[in-house]
Amino acid sequence: MAEYSHVEMIAYTGSRVLEDETIVFVGTGLPIVAAAYAQYTHAPGLLMIYEAGSLAPILDMGMPLSVGDTRAGRKATFLKGLCSAFELTQRGYADYAFIGGAQIDMYGNLCSTMQGDDYGKPRVRFPGSGGAGAMAANCEKTIAIMVLEKRRFVKQLDFVTSIGFGDGSPDYREKAGVMGSGPYRVITNQALFGFCEDTRRMKLLEVKPGVKPSDIQDLVEFELIIPSDVKDMKEPSEEDLRILRDEIDKEGYFLKRQVQK
Amino acid sequence: MKKVSSDIKKISQIKYQEKSLEYWGPTPDEARKIMVNKSKALKDKRTTLKEAVQEHVKDGINLGIGGFVNTRVPFAAVQEVVRQGVRDLTLSFQSNSICVELLAGAMILDPDRVSIKRAEFAWWGYEIIGIAPLLRYLTTNGLIEVDDYTNYGMSVRFKAAAMGIPFIPIRDHGGSDMELVNKGTMMECPYTGRNVYLVPACHPDVGLVHVSAADMNGNARIFGALCTCPEIAMASTYSIVTAEKIIAEENIRNFPNMTEIPHPAVDSLVERPYGAYPGACYGFHWFDMDHIKMFRAAGEEFRQTGDKTKLKQYYDEYVFGCEDYDDFLEKISYKTLKKLNKLDGGQPIVLT
Repeated sequence: MAEYSHVEMIAYTGSRVLEDETIVFVGTGLPIVAAAYAQYTHAPGLLMIYEAGSLAPILDMGMPLSVGDTRAGRKATFLKGLCSAFELTQRGYADYAFIGGAQIDMYGNLCSTMQGDDYGKPRVRFPGSGGAGAMAANCEKTIAIMVLEKRRFVKQLDFVTSIGFGDGSPDYREKAGVMGSGPYRVITNQALFGFCEDTRRMKLLEVKPGVKPSDIQDLVEFELIIPSDVKDMKEPSEEDLRILRDEIDKEGYFLKRQVQK
Repeated sequence: MKKVSSDIKKISQIKYQEKSLEYWGPTPDEARKIMVNKSKALKDKRTTLKEAVQEHVKDGINLGIGGFVNTRVPFAAVQEVVRQGVRDLTLSFQSNSICVELLAGAMILDPDRVSIKRAEFAWWGYEIIGIAPLLRYLTTNGLIEVDDYTNYGMSVRFKAAAMGIPFIPIRDHGGSDMELVNKGTMMECPYTGRNVYLVPACHPDVGLVHVSAADMNGNARIFGALCTCPEIAMASTYSIVTAEKIIAEENIRNFPNMTEIPHPAVDSLVERPYGAYPGACYGFHWFDMDHIKMFRAAGEEFRQTGDKTKLKQYYDEYVFGCEDYDDFLEKISYKTLKKLNKLDGGQPIVLT
């Protein structure tokens, strides 16, 4: 088996989740790598929205380092501003949101605002929602990229930035006034998660070959739903890695980095 | 309309002070009155940044900042604001990096010269380069009040102001802690009976926007992502617009569809090549990662060690050591600017 890094596995798994002829609203970093890789391989008709205002750009200048990067607007089919990009999501044009966060809970709610218990004086302050809160609300399905660690897969978020299934009640999202159907997949380097239709709780779908479901549970603070048919995650081949490294992220801006804290 | 709420309180444990439903800047009525009383003449609005900032940027104002993170940010204008000094600012923007960090650093070095009282925003950081150290310092020490929205929330607040309406119903924030802590409110929709989130219009007293090109009257074209620049210029009671290039009024009249900001929304216009540097300006230059990293590193060193030496050095060299932006650009090498021009990739823009 080819040697691959954590971030390569995340990008590769992210790409597998995306279907052809859909629109994905991407955040900076690995979501762009995953979407570009999907376009290069199984989903040539996948299109990206970047929140600064572009739809369906062609990334022939290299990876955008920011979702507002000139490169993210290059050869787009439609290029306006933030209002326009997010209004596409409210109206139902965006199939997937591809976001990250510092913490996630069992219902797929995400925190990227702060840690601590006092909003007026946080213990740690993160950049804030940015587009994530709006993407999780109104793209149809939310895909989250996370580092699999106990301090990140938590029972209680310090601050709910991006809505998931809330407290798990069937009408939580409706009462919240949001439009999308909510959390769909959570991608980590060692496990792929989905959500149980009945309870809206996080469910283990796939594990990295050689890893046991109980190993994954040990890295998660809340109780996972672990079905009997957990599958092995597909690993990238030499050719997949060549494409990721030499064709997609040529400059190594994202794949050569460690996952950000 | 009936006030309602989502079930966020069932899952949230955050302690917060409820914000009163009031504007952190001019009310829609005040903003309209100022606009009504202005001359709408098509006239030459060109001036210098020094004069524009002197005229409009006063203590206690809401300062709206255009661009997005490090794209087409009004860095030249912000630098002049820091140079002249202003206190008790309210900042309003969606996502920004170096402009807001430059104001924050100035406050840390000398709060009698520059101070931020509060900020309404969605995102404050450097994306791939890292978190914003000075935001972290100011917030974790309780030195500024913050008001969190999504990028859509802030953008559409400017849009509502640009539309002349007091609030706008939207489909996000509900069910997140932002519903509790920000100035939006959940109401029952009179038509569908469903919950819908309302956010207040945001009228900055002064908006700072950098554009690709404008004629001398202020009719502005923007290429690349518009970010929220047209809305911010239209929402602000006074706008200071810097332009990469000044073009002929005839060019504007030949392609009026390309005007993103109409002239009455511009009060001061400054021809300012590289006005977004070290941010990027589509069709002109890419961003200067090295300069951004250098400034961020100075802030990060202060946050981690409390030592302000490097931070102070940056301001002494690049802000206070410069009479104006030309002096600042003089310190950036020709080779650097040439490289950044090349990295733009020659994005097609229309100046004719």
